[in-house]
Amino acid sequence: MPYPARPAPAIEEYADLRARLAPARVGIVGLGGLGSNIAWMLVRAGVGTLVLADHDRVDASNLERQFYFADQVGLPKTEALSANLRRITTATRLECFQTHVDESNLRELYAGIDVFVEAVDTAHDKAMLVAAASEQLPGVPIVAASGVAGYGSPNDVITRHLMGEVWMVGDLVSEVSAEHPLFASRVAIAAGHQAHMTVRILLGYPEA
Amino acid sequence: MRVQLALFASLSQYLPEAAAEDRVSAHAQMVDLPDGTTVGQVITTLGLPDEPRIVFVNGRHAPDEHTLAEGDRLAIFPPVAGG
Repeated sequence: MPYPARPAPAIEEYADLRARLAPARVGIVGLGGLGSNIAWMLVRAGVGTLVLADHDRVDASNLERQFYFADQVGLPKTEALSANLRRITTATRLECFQTHVDESNLRELYAGIDVFVEAVDTAHDKAMLVAAASEQLPGVPIVAASGVAGYGSPNDVITRHLMGEVWMVGDLVSEVSAEHPLFASRVAIAAGHQAHMTVRILLGYPEA
Repeated sequence: MRVQLALFASLSQYLPEAAAEDRVSAHAQMVDLPDGTTVGQVITTLGLPDEPRIVFVNGRHAPDEHTLAEGDRLAIFPPVAGG
């Protein structure tokens, strides 16, 4: 069968959808198993600007599930992730902050973003960041995660519109512990949910 | 006053007994509260565990000192660690 003389309509539509992501500015806090993987997905999706923050450095144990490499152990995560994302494309603008994010600096760091992605580890920080983002970035959708650990069914990890401007990814109950460690596969499923819900919101489809 | 109370995930077991007509969903129901009740008083009365929680009133974060009003929607979610 001959190739069509011009791109199929579906492909043109897809190019248009990608173009609609180019002006978008997405903030991610936490560059671990969730955040580092969400970042590369949004870069590949064509999001124009990412604001990335994490105070931590790459640890050898992070290589089990995070988007870093063995020769990057010891580097700040912001520095290592920037380098890895730029190997995919230099088209995405990256604004990186090697700092702990809390009520004191969230508004300043994430001013002007279209979606706020919570991708930190502890329950305390998750609660603090969702509250702070709701107060300091009014009207900005928040895509958070809770319940991504262990070997439970991949199908229990879902996206919910939880309340207000908050979308919540996970099975809501699987807390990380010695019996329920973080597996690359299940964390990546959750990261995919968070990245894709972000894309949907940016394209104007806020239903989970 | 009547307030809609939603308790998510592991907190849903703390929902008080409710008549069928007061149930909104599996994790939400209408409750009667004295005028002037604060978010913190609801949390204490329900006996919620002292663990991190996300508290929203009418879709925005609200601190424990927030005073509820007729028709408010109070939602409490307990995030768990891992990421």
